[in-house]
Amino acid sequence: MANATAARDPYGDKLDSLTDADIARILAELRRRLKAPEIAAAHTCIRCGLCADACHYYLTNGDLEDIPAYKLNLVLGVIKYHFTPGGRRAGGWVGARRLDKAMVRDWVDALFGRCSGCGRCTMNCTSGIEIHGLIRAARGALAAAGLVPPELQSTVMTAVEQGNNMGIPRDEWLETVDWIQDELRAETGDPGARIPVDEKGARLLYTVNPREPKFFPLSLLAAAKMFYAAGESWTFSSDRYDVTNYGLYSGDDAHAGLLSDRLVRAREDLGAEVLVLGECGHGFASNRWEAPQWLNKRFGFPVKSVLEVAAGYLREGRILLDPSKNKKPLTLHDPCNLVRLGGVVEEQRYLLKNAVEDFREMSPNRQKNYCCGGGGGQLAMTRFAKRRLSAGRLKADQIRKTGAKIVVAPCHNCIDQLIELNKEYKLGTEVKTVIEIVADAIVLPRRSPDPGS
Amino acid sequence: MTFLGALRVVTLAAAGFCLAALMALVFRTSAFGRRKYFSEPRGYAGHGLVYAFGKGMLDKESVSRHRLTMLGGALYHLAIFAGLGYVLWLALPVRPAPPVWAFRPVLLVGAVVGLSLLTKRVAKPHLRRLSCPDDFFANLFVDVFIVLAFLHTYVPALETALMAVTILLFLYIPLGKIRHCFFFFFSRIVFALHFGRRGALPGSALKV
Repeated sequence: MANATAARDPYGDKLDSLTDADIARILAELRRRLKAPEIAAAHTCIRCGLCADACHYYLTNGDLEDIPAYKLNLVLGVIKYHFTPGGRRAGGWVGARRLDKAMVRDWVDALFGRCSGCGRCTMNCTSGIEIHGLIRAARGALAAAGLVPPELQSTVMTAVEQGNNMGIPRDEWLETVDWIQDELRAETGDPGARIPVDEKGARLLYTVNPREPKFFPLSLLAAAKMFYAAGESWTFSSDRYDVTNYGLYSGDDAHAGLLSDRLVRAREDLGAEVLVLGECGHGFASNRWEAPQWLNKRFGFPVKSVLEVAAGYLREGRILLDPSKNKKPLTLHDPCNLVRLGGVVEEQRYLLKNAVEDFREMSPNRQKNYCCGGGGGQLAMTRFAKRRLSAGRLKADQIRKTGAKIVVAPCHNCIDQLIELNKEYKLGTEVKTVIEIVADAIVLPRRSPDPGS
Repeated sequence: MTFLGALRVVTLAAAGFCLAALMALVFRTSAFGRRKYFSEPRGYAGHGLVYAFGKGMLDKESVSRHRLTMLGGALYHLAIFAGLGYVLWLALPVRPAPPVWAFRPVLLVGAVVGLSLLTKRVAKPHLRRLSCPDDFFANLFVDVFIVLAFLHTYVPALETALMAVTILLFLYIPLGKIRHCFFFFFSRIVFALHFGRRGALPGSALKV
């Protein structure tokens, strides 16, 4: 681990003192996750190496270990050796490799430390191998032996134990909502404007990244203003509002399922029709696409990104936008989990093109956009921070080329990374969410004050 | 039966073994179970298939940044299948004899490209380190096969050698990386279904 902290840490000691039982646990969990597609991948990859240019780590660092095929074959080699006929017999001839202590170290370094799970390699693989999915499966196998880097694991456990990944106490959350409600009233001039909490029968249950109440409360105000303008029936939950799910990053399906199940139950308890996911890329991928798999059931209710909801308002004329309120040139970052892996591609563009005067696309964009480098739990894993910032250079270059003064990202993980890139590469841009831009452009309806307020 | 006649029969038997072994591999792979999707689709798996085997074959940086390699790869595979078709034509034996004028350019180009790809794998440090012995061997083995098939179009006396190499090739296909000729389609279909239902592939995202 070239960039890992030089001093020995308990995690390093743990990796050094792995037992056969630990290895067996990793293999058992890996085996549990293997379905036909993963085995097929072991027979499909020809190590052509053409995926290299798809990876922001390789494009910025150029190390062999950054090539997606290298990372993939660390996993496929183990799969071949332990789970395919002939793999063990043919051994190194076909690239089969036994899982041992050294290999576990290689896994940790490459799979946690050199991958943000962005899926760009998958899209560019000549054979269509789901590289990021196999890397996540291997991360999950490491998780079964307690080998997730501790900074990432602690984020998961904070969410599991305290209800949200920032450990925000319930009172603090409710106070923040109350304060934002005052702001909403001031902004709308309507003393009856409300931010409902635990309101039974509301149509939408809205969930957010806990970084919003903690560091970016104006994001909450922006969403509240939009819902107000649209005349929406919505609510927050007082205790289950965290859209994030770091279990997606650690690979731990059990904890990931537990976290998503909380939102599912909150929706049930409040009787909401739709679970609306705030601007969080991995939160969307987790709760929209993966949670039904983790929980092994069909949901039977819609799970939507707030961008889909907002685009619907605009299309239906429920909100009016005045682009002259956003004059600065603006560009859009496509979060991997929302766009390339999630399918929400055009909604944000539709909103922004109606909300700003000067919208500039990055190149490449949409599904081909580069990862900012903040996904895959990289922001949590401080031991790999140097690599993360270095891998973000591509994104910084993309932003700079647009000449935009504002970068918009519908994802708080991306926003954190973009803020760091802004500093590191001296981009001189503001970083905002899509809904913040939409809220700035909203032409508020004239409503007579609620007589009951 | 002449020695050559016997070799032809063995070649056909080896082809049968190869097919059966690949089918057995597919069966064993399928026994690991299919993915079940519980999430509500947002797009269509059918769109995914159209993309994965259509535009998606070319619409990627692995193609746009490596046009020569991709073109070479396509010609190489064309030559491999042409070579196998040529040998099976001889082995059956189908009359009239194979039109050598049609096979020659394909095999010649395939041989040149195959050796070039092998050279690239050896010469590029990252690609070399990424490779396992099978990557070099399979490439070389197939190159020898294509070269022999090409030479046979001029020197029919090479048929014994061509048949012998083909038999070994058929026996090796299920054992090494050449099996990707089957599993490529498997992985591509999985990719298509997975991303197609999410509406996440370029051009398939929901219109607003």
